[in-house]
Amino acid sequence: MKRVVITGLGAASPYGAGVVAYWKGLAAGLCAIRDLTLIETDGFRCRIGAEVVGPLAGSARRTRADRLAIGAAGEALADAGLGTRDRRAAALVVGAVGGGMLEAEAWYWQPTREVARPRTLRAVLPSAHAEAVASRFRLEGPRHTVVTACSSGAVAIAEAAELIADGVVDVAVAGGVDSITRICYMGFNALKLLDPTPCRPFDRDRRGMSIGEGAGFMVLESEARARARRARVYATLAGHGMTTDAFHVTAPDPEGDGMVRAMRAALRQGGAVPSEVQYANAHGTGTPQNDRIEARALASVFGEGGLLVSSSKSMIGHTMAAAGSLEAIATVLALEHGLVPPTANLVTPDPEVPFDCVAHAARPAPLACAISNSFGFGGQNVTLLFRRGVA
Amino acid sequence: MTRVDVAITGLGVVTRAVTGDSAALGAFLASPSGLGDGAHGAVAGGNLVDATEARRLSRVCQLTIAAARIALREARLDPGVGLGLVVGTEFGDLASTHAFADGFLARGPAGLSALLFPNTVMNTMIATTAIAVGAREMAVTLNAPTVAGELAVARAAAAVGRGRVPAMLAGGVDESDPVVERELTHLGLGTERRGEGATFVVLEPREAARARGATVLGTISGAAWRALPARPWGVGRTRRSSAIEAALRTAGARPSDVGWVYASGSRDEARDRWEAHVLREALGTKPLVSSLGQMLGRDAGLGVLRVGAAAWTARSGLLPVMNGTTRVERVRSGRGLVHGLARGGAHVALVVDAA
Repeated sequence: MKRVVITGLGAASPYGAGVVAYWKGLAAGLCAIRDLTLIETDGFRCRIGAEVVGPLAGSARRTRADRLAIGAAGEALADAGLGTRDRRAAALVVGAVGGGMLEAEAWYWQPTREVARPRTLRAVLPSAHAEAVASRFRLEGPRHTVVTACSSGAVAIAEAAELIADGVVDVAVAGGVDSITRICYMGFNALKLLDPTPCRPFDRDRRGMSIGEGAGFMVLESEARARARRARVYATLAGHGMTTDAFHVTAPDPEGDGMVRAMRAALRQGGAVPSEVQYANAHGTGTPQNDRIEARALASVFGEGGLLVSSSKSMIGHTMAAAGSLEAIATVLALEHGLVPPTANLVTPDPEVPFDCVAHAARPAPLACAISNSFGFGGQNVTLLFRRGVA
Repeated sequence: MTRVDVAITGLGVVTRAVTGDSAALGAFLASPSGLGDGAHGAVAGGNLVDATEARRLSRVCQLTIAAARIALREARLDPGVGLGLVVGTEFGDLASTHAFADGFLARGPAGLSALLFPNTVMNTMIATTAIAVGAREMAVTLNAPTVAGELAVARAAAAVGRGRVPAMLAGGVDESDPVVERELTHLGLGTERRGEGATFVVLEPREAARARGATVLGTISGAAWRALPARPWGVGRTRRSSAIEAALRTAGARPSDVGWVYASGSRDEARDRWEAHVLREALGTKPLVSSLGQMLGRDAGLGVLRVGAAAWTARSGLLPVMNGTTRVERVRSGRGLVHGLARGGAHVALVVDAA
């Protein structure tokens, strides 16, 4: 198996366009959850979320999600310094859920629904993002779109890593994207999973999650290829684990069995022992159930207090299909900078969470090894294991 | 990690035309006749979902579970060995998405159904199927127009062939949707024949299958997927297929070894013409090409059904061909190709051999 390294990063986050803005916001512990403006919120208990601010990349004729994806993928490709030939053979794996639903909803919501514009229909599927990105950057390698709910972005990265490890390609672009949609917002409202105030992962008094949007993409390469072209290497993706709970369509296995198996699989593949892992970027949604079960699973694998834990969702909300990839980028940057991003809004630590969850302020820590957890509806669990630089 | 040949040891089909395992599909292909009752009727009549599932699950989830169960039953595989899932779909559970939105549009926030919301995410079929069959390894839903089913099989074959998962259920599923039909017609794609249903195959390493005494229906000896340059939703001009080249290379095969092809033709004339050019460039004019989509209609399940059909052709040397009328041609048994090409350029190739 070929070793896989990360040589390019790109983000479109609620802090704005670019990885620099993303990391600056996370490192400052800045909560970007505000009043929603993209969709109507009348009649709902929760009216906040984390929207991407500032100008978007790409043509205004494209869907919002396509533009988020093009911006983040383009930044990752430029960051990696890939030439035209490298790009042409590169794989593209995109994690997506909502597709162009925001624009399709605008059509479907019309009181007297007219014939849909062709562009709206063509862009509604999740796979439309991959087509848009591939067409824009001329990527002609293996291309596929994964839909694993809230773990989609992380699954995309794991899938790309397998294509490189197996020698199918030397270079891959992978990540996740989602824009805020009415259906997503209304659905989580209907499930009563949204906190009317900014979410508070791992807080004793947490009341639910906050939705968000964004895109995060990485360029992954075989280590040999990256060395040969003297590319900058952020981190090594040493291992990953993908499992399924097979328990419930929305609720995680109460024992966290699938989460534990995903984390252990990532450790096994990465040749790591639990004590090597110093930081976990948690799925950390802020719902009472998820945080409790994830903490239990983390304790089962790493021991109580065995590592630092924080949730990026406390600052950028739950960006759905983008969450896994944006949080993977946060993990890579934490390794790069030796700084653990905090959990914002954490006032009263939950006694059932036996970890230091890095409340409020980022914490300097010389990190060598870290994980990023992502879990989705349907019990779809993914853990990515990163090591600093070339391991 | 050494790549191993991947055996097909089970097949489950739930469609309007045929419902059952590999024997049922073989009988249908040998004598393709008129269409039967609706796919949903086939699910209910065959006791393929239990009463609770029939009450609680959406129609497309029921189709998925039913096909997966038939495939597992034929394979006689214990999910406890470590079973993963890959499901391809073009539209997911669109009926539930409409119902969820319509609830709000009719009654405001009070009309929203918490039960329907999870079905608006395309992985709802895989989530319910994983629970129904006890699959606890990787589970990935792949969304793609036109080629989602064959892509799911190719992805699952890679996981098994590289030893990442002991066995995989790979399937495709879609259901008819009146809104989609109407809008596709407005897009000028109404001539394309669309279908509905679910098909699954069980994949495992050939040696492991033989060791446990399983019947090997066919072997996937090469699989690859790539993207040809094309605008989103567009038809491209490139004829050289890197996916076919890669699949043949993996199988250690030459183009002349391919005796027949199951292609993705479905009366989308521009796309069908492009695929014909791609196949001719890769394989020459020799292999006979079957396009089941022209008879059964295209959906994500059909991509998987064509893999099952390819295993049958590899064994029997028979190929159903539609050219005005439907007939069954005798071809060289053994190695053939399953090919899918989508608008936008996604394309998939699988080399299928007899057991």
